[in-house]
Amino acid sequence: MPHPSARPEREPAEPVTPPAPPDSPAPGGPGDGPGGLLAAIFRYQSVVVILVALLGAMAIGAALIRYQGVNPWYAYETIFKQALFTSDGLTRTLAKTTPLILTGLAVVLPLRVGLFNIGGQGQFLLGAIAAAWAAYQTSALGVLAIVVGVVVGILFGAMVGSIAAILKTWRGVHEVITTIMLNNIAAGIVWWLVTGPFQAPNAGGIPQTHEIGEAARIPTVAGIPLGFGVAVVLALVCAWMLKRTTLGFRFDTVGKNRHAAGYAGIPINRVILLAMVFAGGLAGLAGALEVHGVMHHFEPAIAGTLGFDGITIALLARSNPLWTIPAGFLVGILRTGAAGLQFATGIAPEIVDLLLAITLLLVSIPVLGRWIFRSRAHKVSAASTSWGS
Amino acid sequence: MKAKRYLVAGTAAALAIGLSACGGSTGNSSSGGASGAPADDSQCSQTTVFCVGLVTDTGKVDDKSFNQSAHEGAKKAAAASNGYYKYIETQDAKDYAANIKQFTDKHYDVVITVGFMMTDATAAAAAANSTTKFIGVDQAFDKTKVTVKNVTGLLFPEDQAGYGAGYLAGLMTKTNKLGQVLGLEIPPVQKYAKGFEAGAKAANPAVTVSTVYHPAGDNAFNDPTWGAAEAKKALDQGADFVFGAGGNTGNGALQEVAKASGAGDTVFCIGVDTDQWDTVPAAQKCLITSATKLISAGVTDLVEKSKDNDFGGLVSMGKAGLAPYHAFDAKVPDTVKSKVSDIVKQMEAGTLKTGVTL
Repeated sequence: MPHPSARPEREPAEPVTPPAPPDSPAPGGPGDGPGGLLAAIFRYQSVVVILVALLGAMAIGAALIRYQGVNPWYAYETIFKQALFTSDGLTRTLAKTTPLILTGLAVVLPLRVGLFNIGGQGQFLLGAIAAAWAAYQTSALGVLAIVVGVVVGILFGAMVGSIAAILKTWRGVHEVITTIMLNNIAAGIVWWLVTGPFQAPNAGGIPQTHEIGEAARIPTVAGIPLGFGVAVVLALVCAWMLKRTTLGFRFDTVGKNRHAAGYAGIPINRVILLAMVFAGGLAGLAGALEVHGVMHHFEPAIAGTLGFDGITIALLARSNPLWTIPAGFLVGILRTGAAGLQFATGIAPEIVDLLLAITLLLVSIPVLGRWIFRSRAHKVSAASTSWGS
Repeated sequence: MKAKRYLVAGTAAALAIGLSACGGSTGNSSSGGASGAPADDSQCSQTTVFCVGLVTDTGKVDDKSFNQSAHEGAKKAAAASNGYYKYIETQDAKDYAANIKQFTDKHYDVVITVGFMMTDATAAAAAANSTTKFIGVDQAFDKTKVTVKNVTGLLFPEDQAGYGAGYLAGLMTKTNKLGQVLGLEIPPVQKYAKGFEAGAKAANPAVTVSTVYHPAGDNAFNDPTWGAAEAKKALDQGADFVFGAGGNTGNGALQEVAKASGAGDTVFCIGVDTDQWDTVPAAQKCLITSATKLISAGVTDLVEKSKDNDFGGLVSMGKAGLAPYHAFDAKVPDTVKSKVSDIVKQMEAGTLKTGVTL
């Protein structure tokens, strides 16, 4: 019997599957092929794997919550209620989702080219501090200071990203090494700036920059932070770029087989540089939006773990830009609800990170997909594409 | 056959979820402690029910340091007045305001916020919630910006604790060399460090003090490896007293000194913030004393005070001092002990100034 695994390997993560290749049984068709529902399950199996992983993680989490003497239903209900249905819960969830989508995209784009960008943290930090500084310096411009801050943030993020790309293309240094090391360099520079030249003198010795002007703050309209709109639009743009443009085709081709891409005349170095510049720009933008929309100044705690969370998002989204939106939203919900969970039940808020970690573990290892789908499993592993290339 | 496998998987999943669902309370686990205290915070808006809330900075209530001391003080105060106590451990610096709001939404009487990073969030919450009292541990509020009366910052004379410790080290050092291994270069740490140096020089003008602050931002208080390496350096350069001040970073320094040859005989270490004899048992071999600030007592006092009326002002000075010598009681000469306790008394009385300015 012909089966899907005989097909040429497709893009790592493609929930919206292109039409089935001719050699596989027509979905829902007669013969020994699976029926309508099953066929749909097989086609969207990366979604199914994620859902099963989520359920599995929540089941394990439920046992742990139960072990602490709290009703798991009540706990999960509290998380979602706090994150979605309290007075400002949804707004805060969306505000948390915004940088997650962007740092997620900052991992997704290089992943499609076969690069693993672990430098989101450093790109985010430098973008954020540069944006805070530029917006403060230009606060006389009023609303235009937003544009200045955001553009400067993107540029600085992109600059950090490009360093790793240049080292990769010219000297062949693996991007995993350089991006991790650049994270430390960025943290050092940022720390020096925020305790030195950029420190606000009226902060009482606290390492933070000046507050940006009132006009330079990105507002929340009808409970939706405008930055969230920007993030969603960019996720759509990335998806469109990858699917519908020559550049996107080049990205995927280089990611699948660099040698074939080179043979076909694709300028590999330029593609690598562009992917890392886009990635750095997106992470820098995330930092700038956090400054303009949430914090209104820079302090080192602004980054939290957002840069690394991008990796979580990208793997959950199976390196599909569109899926960074629900993935980011899910993480946003969990993070927003966590504090309310502790308030209501006393359970340490780390439980949500535990849920995410278990989910990620189940998603990233191909075992689950193979266990569910056996021979019909797609050969997907977003993470594995980046190594050894 | 395939269908069977899905059936098994489905059953397993259903079982797991079903199992987790059965039993369980609705989940209120925190409590005020004393009998007769309210069982939950549903009645906090009533004047007869006293509710105390605490928000940590991005740390835990069992960090053996700052957050833990404040947590214990708050818990004790709530128990003493038959009140209800609950805390939230902040995960993300952007959540400070939201976490404080959890308590104000429930009309808590007192909310304690821990750490200088929450200064702005605390001031904003105090302005918005006039019926709730706010205590900001280690927070210096700006008089020109904060005009409400329902908030106070609990500050400590760290320089006095440092001065006392430095004075002791200055009297006892044989090599005339002291080392300081410090966390982040922020005002409270600087006050400890400068006080230590001033005290040492006052006791013994010939002494030299080498001072290192942790260079990086994100883990300055949680880098015991760096702390240990710097402590080793100080010992190699001949220092016989090492003052470790900086959370876990300082703890690393203390433990390194405890491992050195001659620990407790020729080389000693001095802890910080709390009596580290209890919190870092691994350092007991060299830990002669700790420069402490009495956070728990300060928090308890202020919570008590908040019940009556407004705080005295935006600044509430807590106490700082030296922890007991414990096992080193016999090794410290009596003349040194009496000199040090004189100095500490003079500082408390205000007759001796440390001369530390930032």
